[in-house]
This record gives sequence, structure tokens and C-alpha cells, in this order.
Amino acid sequence: MAVQPAAMSPTDSDAAAGDRSARARLAIVLLGLLLAATMLAGLGTGASNASALDLIHNWLTGGFGDAISARDRIIIQDIRLPRILLGTLVGASLAVSGAVMQGLFRNPLADPGLIGVSAGAGLGAIVVIVLGGTMLGPVLAPLGIYALPLAAFFGGLVTTFILYRVATRRGQTSIATMLLAGIALAAMTGAFSGVLIYLADDRQLRDLTFWGLGSLAGATWQKIGAAAPIMVVALATTPFLARGLNALALGEPTAGHLGVPVQRLKYVSIVAVSAAVGASVAVSGGIGFIGIVVPHLLRLLIGPDNRYLLPASALLGASALLVADAISRTIVAPAELPIGIVTAAVGGPFFLWILLRRRGVLDL
Amino acid sequence: MIEAGDVAVSIGAKRIISGVDFEARPGEVVAIVGPNGSGKSTFLKALSGDIGYSGRIAFNGRSLADMKPVEAATARAVLPQATTLSFPFTVREVVRLGLLGGRSGALAGEEGRLPERALTKVDLDGFGGRFYQELSGGEQQRVQLARVLCQVWAPVLEGRPRYLLLDEPVSSLDIRHQLGIMDIARDFARRGGGVVAILHDLNLAALYAERIYMLHAGRLAAAGLPQDVINNSMLEKVFGCRLKVGSVPPGPMPFVLPQSALS
Amino acid sequence: MSVWLKTARLAAFGLALAAVARPAAAEDATVLPDTSRVVAIGGAVTEIVFALGEQKHLVARDSTGTYPEAAKALPDVGYMRALSPEGVLSVDPTGIIALQGSGPKEAVDVLKKASVPYVEVPETYDNEGILERIRVVGKALGVEDKAAALAADTEAKLKAAEARTAGIDKKKRVLFILSMQGDKVMAAGAHTGADGIVRLAGAANAIEGFSGYKQLSDEAIVTAAPDVILMMDHAGPGVSDDDLFDNAAISQTPAGQARKVIRMDGGYLLGYGPRTADAISDLSKALYGDKAAD
Repeated sequence: MAVQPAAMSPTDSDAAAGDRSARARLAIVLLGLLLAATMLAGLGTGASNASALDLIHNWLTGGFGDAISARDRIIIQDIRLPRILLGTLVGASLAVSGAVMQGLFRNPLADPGLIGVSAGAGLGAIVVIVLGGTMLGPVLAPLGIYALPLAAFFGGLVTTFILYRVATRRGQTSIATMLLAGIALAAMTGAFSGVLIYLADDRQLRDLTFWGLGSLAGATWQKIGAAAPIMVVALATTPFLARGLNALALGEPTAGHLGVPVQRLKYVSIVAVSAAVGASVAVSGGIGFIGIVVPHLLRLLIGPDNRYLLPASALLGASALLVADAISRTIVAPAELPIGIVTAAVGGPFFLWILLRRRGVLDL
Repeated sequence: MIEAGDVAVSIGAKRIISGVDFEARPGEVVAIVGPNGSGKSTFLKALSGDIGYSGRIAFNGRSLADMKPVEAATARAVLPQATTLSFPFTVREVVRLGLLGGRSGALAGEEGRLPERALTKVDLDGFGGRFYQELSGGEQQRVQLARVLCQVWAPVLEGRPRYLLLDEPVSSLDIRHQLGIMDIARDFARRGGGVVAILHDLNLAALYAERIYMLHAGRLAAAGLPQDVINNSMLEKVFGCRLKVGSVPPGPMPFVLPQSALS
Repeated sequence: MSVWLKTARLAAFGLALAAVARPAAAEDATVLPDTSRVVAIGGAVTEIVFALGEQKHLVARDSTGTYPEAAKALPDVGYMRALSPEGVLSVDPTGIIALQGSGPKEAVDVLKKASVPYVEVPETYDNEGILERIRVVGKALGVEDKAAALAADTEAKLKAAEARTAGIDKKKRVLFILSMQGDKVMAAGAHTGADGIVRLAGAANAIEGFSGYKQLSDEAIVTAAPDVILMMDHAGPGVSDDDLFDNAAISQTPAGQARKVIRMDGGYLLGYGPRTADAISDLSKALYGDKAAD
């Protein structure tokens, strides 16, 4: 047996022996605390000086010197609070979906876009933006402001479903086929989108651009009511995928030998990811990088064991998005920067930095 | 016991193997040998439950086709030819995956130490904290064997023997580790389990296997004791090169001496 | 039931829930009871407030409110169709005057819920639209007399501008080029602000047959045979005369042969506000020179 130096802590010596679970559990606790802190900080941050602490004190004690103004109450309850909750769910969904996709495709660079959900959601959004005022006006009018999110959500589900059927023969889904077919599908949705962009007037183009850059600004309690059940259910299924995804890293045949029901694992993973990402994209537009950078960073810190990686990704993804949202809300106040810009501007260089630092360890 | 009768496998329109009868009894090491492309791996895949087949395959009397993945995982563990990982798992984490099915057969409370014990068995003591991706091919193969051993730690579970299906377990190993691995296989068999191993080295097969099945062009060319299967004419017919078979003590164990690839 | 159907059902359920819980929509106002801190959304709105001399009421504007120069000194709450409700509320407004089409709707709903009076200003690309906008802004700020005067003044100027070119029979053909990136020409068809202005200045849009801003093929450019090219000044990367007339298709047109191009400031030309009459006059002068009656 290797000799352990006496000064090592239990978690360190476990890690030296290859067991990183204690460290991972600690990380999850810390990330949970981080998320709570980020949520509170987010509630207290904004373009205005509405104070969350005052409001909370108000709720608790029913009065606090200067009564909190109606305006501040609206800001905190109807603007910031739904935004914080939505940001938490979307950040968690995007990060966990990224981790699941990476496990499914056995590739650290996989992201939910590979199963077609982003392309389909984007197409749904473009259809509503460009045709909603004209051709599809009568059909979409009764849906009001829900037309866009619904179209994006169902667009994402439909393309993923098509892709799944193309890649599945005799009950077996070929991940490799899914990847290639996804490229073809992206080209086709790109063509449809291109036609609609061509037909769009400049106001619609502007709307489209802003949608593509992503934003949590449209967070309302109604939208949360519609999207949250889907995201929560999808997120809730992921812990059950963890062990199977771990085994899948050894290859599909070996995972099967270990007793994992591989086809069912693929099916549930694909459905969960398309639902979670579809709902996220539907309510907040295109937000990138969270799905790749967060799981990657965590793998470097706590290892690729999905039993810990998935919940940790959810927590860190949520925190990261909330921080990005706080930046987007304050950096050009009283205007607002689309959140996709912040995640790309911060996520891109950060990702590059962690890659360069750990070049030796990873086998990309 | 593993029983296979009249097993045939086709991929698309191409028939890979046909008419193969096979038996692996508990307490025995069975070797499958044959030239490249003779269908050895395909047959093992059929036994593992990876691919469809026609004919009968049964483990301990239960038909393979009726078994769910979890059931099959209890009855047998499979060592593939090579395994690459895309993620930075540690060696211990990889070995621990063998315990996924939860039916290792170790006593409760012992399971936590199984990865270490398995690594010691394959002569990778203290490797637990290393990263799998950094190891050599031979070391990685031994890590996989450690995982496989964890999966079926107890060769007999609830009165039923369990099987190791090994696809070229020693091809990237040095001679010391080749013998070490085959010793593990023999030990597993001696304690009541069964071993089926695809081997390229005929001498190793002769040394360790109780019975040898020789495949040629998808069909069974010979089956039986090593000294019966490994002889001059059979080898020339199946492998198409000149070999001289002698025998060494103890007993009539055959020994193959290569002459030339040209007939 | 397949998991896809389950997901769809869940979405529909959530939506039904949301629809039931929808808040009551507030009514639009026409007058701002308190004009001490007003936010102007929409370039035309900002311009009209300044033209009425009421800029002392403004505390913020949106990113399209760039004229007059003094407007740029006001805090910018973002693009008018991507407003941040907290951003708008952070300047403590007592009223909002917003051009039709401001959004997103969620932001507007929150502002109305916060009991900030919200006046919507209609948007159309014609003379009556300009006058109506002036009246609506004036009424909102409680200066209807001033607004009526400005409207009358503007109307007179518009009529005069149109009259300059009323006697001209042979209308010049104008091609409005929005942008020219790498030889791809984006031009204005019917139902665009540019089309409206061109016609008000007594000229004809060289493009017939499509509406909106579209990319023109070389053939279409030659067929259009414009006499003059009209472009915006200070809008994105500039296109020099050489670059413009080097374009193979454009060089084949009457405009290209005579190297006739007019450049005007985009906000001035297409703002459809108080300055529009002057813009029309300037354009007709540039097109017809002395032939335009004064």
C-alpha cells in the first residue's frame, strides 16, 4: 500500500486514493450556500435603489420606520423576485442539461444544441416574430405574449423528436447518427430561418437579435407558472440518470454489461434535456456557455462522477446566471445589457483560461 | 454452466458465425482461439448479450434472451478489448463502476474496500488515485479487469456460478502480467466460477485452459482438450502457416513452435 | 403515454394556470397628471417634447432619442423595444410618453402596474400622423395650446414643402440605399419611411414591386434606372462616392453615369417629426434645384 503522509486530512487522503466523493459532497454544500447568497444579493441589486432588506423587514415586522414605497414594493416583488427565481431555474437547467449531454455523447464539448432543441426553439421564435404580425396573426393573437414562448418550446420539442426518430432503429438509438442528423437538421432550420429573416422588416430583425442574445427581463409570475413545472420535473429526473451516465463513459456495450438499461437511459436523458432547455430558451431566449463551462469547471474541481456533478452543476449554473443577470442589470443602468452577451463575454475567456491551465490533465 | 447451441450471427446480409455449439462449465477455464476474422469476438459478443443471434444461449439454465440487463450483470462480467475514457476519472472511480449492479457478492461492509483489493490482485496496488487516461494500455486493461472482478467478486452467488467473459485479456501485457492475469482466471475457476477467454497465444491457452474451442471462418473447427485440438494438421488447416507442435511436461501439454509464415 | 405527450400536457397545464392568473391590464392614459418627471420613449417623442419647449419635464429618454443634441445628455433607459422595467422605474418617473411599439409588453405591464401613467403615441408614415403625434404629446404634457400651434406650423410647412414640387411633371426616380456591405445593396421598397419621404418630396421611388427593405440583384438595380441615389449620413460604415459608383450595376444607371448622390442625416430625413417639413424641402431642393417653386 502507498504510504500516506500523516499530515493529510481525511478528504485529501481519500482523494489521493482516488475517492473524491467527500470533497464533492463538501463542494455541493458550499455551492448551495453560494446559491442562497447569490439569490439574496440579486434581490438587493438593480438599477434602482429599492432595498430588499427593507422589504423583508417589512414583511416580517409589519412596519419599519419609513414605510416601503409602493414603487419599491413593485420593483422587488414583480421585477426582481420573479427574475431571481427564473434565473435560478434557467441557470440550473442549462448547466445540468449540458452535463447530461456530455455524459450521453461521451464528450466534454457536447451541449444541448446537439439534439436539435436550440435550433427548433430558435425557428419557433423566428416564425412568431416575423409572421406573427401578418400571416399567422389571427392564429397567434389569442395567445398574446405567450405566442413566442410556446412556439419556441414546441419548436424545440418537435425538432428533438424528429431527430430522435431518425436516429432510432429497432429500438436502439445511435448517438453518432443523432449527431450527424443534428447537423443536417440545423442546416434545414437555418434555411427556413434564413427565409424568414429575409422577409423580416428592420423592427422584426431587431426583435430577433435581442431574442437571440437572451434576457431574463421578461420574467413574470405567469411565465414562471408555465415554465417552472416543466423545468423542475426535468431537473428532478436527472439524479436517476447519474449512475447510468457514469457507466456510459466506458462505452455503451460495457454500460449494458454492468446492468444499465442503456436505451431507456438515452430516451429519458433526451426528453429531460429537451424539455428543460426548451422551456429555458422559450422564456429567456438564447443564453450560451453555461451548459459547457459550468460542468467543465466542476469536473476539474470535483471529478466527472455524475452523482455529484449533476447537482453541483445545477447549483453553480444557477449562481453563475444570477451573477450574470446582476451584471446585465447594472452595468449600463438604467438600460440593460442582454444576458447572453455577459455569459459569452465572461464565459469565453474564462473557459479559455481553464483550458490553458489544465492542458496536461484533460484528454480533449 | 453456459450452454450455447447452434448459434449463428449475421450482420446485415453477411453471416459471421454459424452452427456453433459451446459449453463452459463452472470450475473450468475455456479458451476460444482462431485466426483473425474467424468470429471469436462476435461469438463472445453474442454470449455477452450485445448482439442478436439465432440458436440457444443459456446461463445456468436460463435463456439469455429472457434475461434483463441487471440479471445478466449478476450472472456474468465482460472484459472488452480496450476501453478509452473521455473524462478524467480516477482509477478507483473506474474500478468502482463494477459495483454498479450491486451484486458483487461481497459481504456487506466489505464492498467499500473491494476496489483496493481488486487493484492489488491485478498488481496495481496504490494506483487508485491515478488518472485512468494517463495510464499505459496494459495498465488500463488491468484496471478494467479489476472492475470486472469487482462486479463478480464472489465466483458463486446464491448457489449459482458466475462467469468471466474475457476478450483478449492479455494482448497488451508483458509476460509477467500475462501469467498473472491468467493465474487470476484460473483462481476464479478453482473457486467455483467459470471463465471464457479469447486468446491469441496458443501456448498460453494450452497452459491454462481445461478446454479449447477453435473457430475457423465462422464455424467451429475443433473443440476439446488442448492436446487434442492443438496439433500440426489442425493448426496448418486453420491458421495456414507451418507450425511444429511438441509437448512438454507435466502430462501431455502441447507446445507450439513457430516455423514460418510461408507454407 | 409517451413522455413527449406528458411534457406537452404539463406545458398546457402550466399555461392554463398562467392565463387564469393574468393580471388586469391597466388602461392607457391621455393626460399625465404630474409632469415633473417624464420619460420619453421613441425618437419622435423626444424630439416633439423639445420642439414644444417642454424639455424641462424630461428625466430620461430611450436609445433612439438622439435629437436634439441636448437630449443625449439625458439618461438612456435602453432600446425602446427592449426596455428594462426596473431601469425605467429607477429614475422615479411621474409619467411615461411612449411611441407605439415600445416594449416588451411585460415591461409595459409592470410599469402600468406600478401606477405610472402611460401615454401611447401612435405611429404612421404620413403627414397626418406627424400632426397627430404632436397633438398627443401636447395633450399628455398639458400644453395643448402650444401643441396646436406647433401642429399648425408644421402643417403649413409640410403643405408648402409638398407644393414646391406640385408643378413638376417629370418625377425623378430615386433609389434609397440603406446599406452596401460588400456590394450587396439593401434598398427601400414601398411602405417604408424612405418611400414616404421620397414621394412627399415630389419624386418617385425607383423600386416598384416590393415593400420593406430588401436586397437588390444587379438586374433589379439596372431595371430600376434611378436618376438619383439617396443615402443616410452617419449611419454605420460610410460608403464613399467611389465605392458607390464602382458597383457594376449602379454604374450602369443614370444616377451612376451622372454620379448623382444625395446624403442626408437619417434621423432628420426619416424621423417623421417636427423637422420633417424641412427635410422634405431640403430633399426636393437637392433633387430639383431651381425647378422647385419657393
